[in-house]
Amino acid sequence: MLYQNTLQLAEHTQGAYEITELVTEIIKDSKIHTGTCHLFIHNSSSAILISDTADESTKNLTADFMAQLAPSSVDANANINNAMNAVPPTMKYARSQNELTIPVTSGRSGIGVWQGIFLWEYKSAPVERKLTVTIMGEPLHKSFRLTR
Amino acid sequence: MVHQQHLRFSTNGRGTYNISQQISDVIEKSNIQTGICQIFIQHTSASLILCENADPTVRTDLDAFMKRLVPDGDSLFKHKDEGPDDMPAHIRTVLTESSLSIPVHKGKASLGIWQGIYLWEHRTSSFKRNLSVTIIGE
Repeated sequence: MLYQNTLQLAEHTQGAYEITELVTEIIKDSKIHTGTCHLFIHNSSSAILISDTADESTKNLTADFMAQLAPSSVDANANINNAMNAVPPTMKYARSQNELTIPVTSGRSGIGVWQGIFLWEYKSAPVERKLTVTIMGEPLHKSFRLTR
Repeated sequence: MVHQQHLRFSTNGRGTYNISQQISDVIEKSNIQTGICQIFIQHTSASLILCENADPTVRTDLDAFMKRLVPDGDSLFKHKDEGPDDMPAHIRTVLTESSLSIPVHKGKASLGIWQGIYLWEHRTSSFKRNLSVTIIGE
């Protein structure tokens, strides 16, 4: 069984935004009980990532680290092949993934207790983002329900 | 056809742990011949990587590189409730993978000869790590 939903995320400026609840709702709509959920963001200047939800400072500090690793003053469009100083931004974009697959367990996202799914926006100007969610798997079988 | 199983590993400090065999066992149990095996780690201070499995120094070098890239106790970090390795562990996780998908071919994990699946513990003490393995295929 396959379920796909493409949605437009509201305008965001630079920062990390939790989308766990949104993903949970889509998984619920899919009626898939066991399988996987693939998240894909349709651009290369924002990312989808898993981060700690226990301490707010974790995601901010990760952003600080990335900023230090890839300062915005360095040309983000420079080509890695001919400019050594292009390595940091390339690292930033390449190392933070624009796709993520999470398990679907018992009709819910099977992520850990302290994990949250975040949209990580790099652009400082507000921008809308397109997200495609593809869920593959099996619904809860009636026979399975009876035997439990 | 879908097969899902949860695995739990005990880690003993920072470093990489080869979990290829345990993943192969799950694939075998699934009876799926062709498909995709998706592995997900349910933590934000340990991650998954595919890495060279012949020479163990590759993995100790990787860890040494990470240590230089994200130093423990860096003054940049304010999140250090659980020690100087706390925040670096979260960053190391973001820089590596929480999720891996590998092909299943003829009922086996279709990895390269020199590829291994590793759980990378980023904390310096011992932890129990939960993984979810989902195989979709025919």
